[in-house]
Amino acid sequence: MTADSFLFWLLAAVTLVSGLSVVLVSNPIYSALCLAMSMVGISALFATLGAYFIAGVQMIVYAGAVLVLFVMVLMLFDLKTELATFSRGKISGLIKIATVGTLAGFLAGAFSMSIEFMEKPATKTVVAEAGVDMSRNLGTLLFTKYILGFEALGILLLVIAIGVVGLARSKGGTHAKH
Amino acid sequence: MGSDAFEITVNCIKLVLVFLLMVQAVPILVWLERRGSGFIQNRFGPNRVGPLGLMQLLADAVKFLTKEEFSPKAATKLLFYAAPVFALIPGTLGFAAIPLGSPLKWGDYTFAIQGYDIGVGIVFILGVSSLAAYTILMAGWGSGNKYALMGALRASAQTISYELALGLSIVGIIMMYGTFNLSEMIAAQQGTMHFQAFGNTIATSWLPNWGIFYQPLAAVLFFAATFAESNRLPFDLAEGEAELVAGFHTEYGGFKMLLFFIGEYGHMMVASGLMATFFLGGYNIPYTTTEQVYQFFLGFVESANAASALTSLAHFIMFTVKLGIFLWIFIWVRWTLPRFRYDQLMDLGWKTMLPWALANTILSALVIFAVSHSW
Repeated sequence: MTADSFLFWLLAAVTLVSGLSVVLVSNPIYSALCLAMSMVGISALFATLGAYFIAGVQMIVYAGAVLVLFVMVLMLFDLKTELATFSRGKISGLIKIATVGTLAGFLAGAFSMSIEFMEKPATKTVVAEAGVDMSRNLGTLLFTKYILGFEALGILLLVIAIGVVGLARSKGGTHAKH
Repeated sequence: MGSDAFEITVNCIKLVLVFLLMVQAVPILVWLERRGSGFIQNRFGPNRVGPLGLMQLLADAVKFLTKEEFSPKAATKLLFYAAPVFALIPGTLGFAAIPLGSPLKWGDYTFAIQGYDIGVGIVFILGVSSLAAYTILMAGWGSGNKYALMGALRASAQTISYELALGLSIVGIIMMYGTFNLSEMIAAQQGTMHFQAFGNTIATSWLPNWGIFYQPLAAVLFFAATFAESNRLPFDLAEGEAELVAGFHTEYGGFKMLLFFIGEYGHMMVASGLMATFFLGGYNIPYTTTEQVYQFFLGFVESANAASALTSLAHFIMFTVKLGIFLWIFIWVRWTLPRFRYDQLMDLGWKTMLPWALANTILSALVIFAVSHSW
């Protein structure tokens, strides 16, 4: 086993195990921390592929900002009721297993049907580029070929921001009377 | 890591050395902080143990190691013990990516005087230092103490708010040098001031070619934001003693407390190192280029290896001096300015620093475009 493949399997294991823990752990705080861990794992996987800029941005945006907010908000809640609602009953357990089984089936089906499609690009060798060239190409692509999607995403985020402000104000915001 | 056993060994030793360098600087900084505060407040500070009180550090270390090990009853054990260990990660990884001296050419080998050379240096450093918020949140929530939790929430809100200003303030620098790589940024700041404008070369002989003369506003914003990022006064609301006992590390004592300390000083060292790299020419000796220093040492010693080693050493000392200046400013400010109120902190971050950083970015982009374009 070469160093590269060892690194890949190690990082893949870390990412998958922490990703699974997100849904398997009953405490929401641990779930959020595990999600952060899997984000760091994904970022490291990007780095092993030579996409250093994406790796760094993944770390700054997701692990460093978005999930910190998740964890922060979770810590403000009284989690006793959430912990209690995480039932361990037989019927709900069956439902959970059935759901997971269905999802796994869908995934397996999707993989098996798309295997020909996925094998095609393997013949094309990807040359790892230096950091700045890579990010320059990324910027050029974002602002030329994919400009419509980029702008649409921007508008989507703006809509979300306005929606959140509207929702918060409709209930009286921080001055709401309970 | 390297092509043969020798190079790999040296690079591995280097990783350990950079880590030890950071950890070993902490006792000296603590001594400087306590003696410096004594000097600023017109009192003595610790001066009993050894010459100038320098042995106080060893006494402190023994004290930290022999303290009673305990955890509060309400604590979440796993997070409570994991937090101090995680506190070391951002500082360690960040500091290892900063170049401390010019590359050492030894025969056929070239060794970078830093933990590891990463192509996208600054993106990596910002990425790992953004993980520092988790440490504080884990410590605060894991302690099972309302003061600790309040401190942690304040600290993480502050870290996220100032990360934006921090990231935006250096976009101008990145555009100016056209690279994310710290070594290339340092290479662009050699010698005396000279730059291309409208197709002409403009050169002066009385200013070093430092980033601070091109991006003064970015320097101010970046330095202010790093104070907030490392939770130092005037931004240390996370541990405001008057209202929160000691903030997120209220329940910590002994060596666990020391690990938080090392993490905080590690943050300071990363911030100071980045300040030196972006704005004061990194390891370059003012007014000279790396090549000039190398030629100067070739006049003294015969072998190219020895001259290269001396060059690296001189640059390393220069970098340490610049690092020391910024670290001293960190300590100086701590004993000069009072703490902000929480609303002042948020106003400064969102309504003052963020717009100025944005304006600096847009203005820099326009100027760089106008100046590099041949009309």
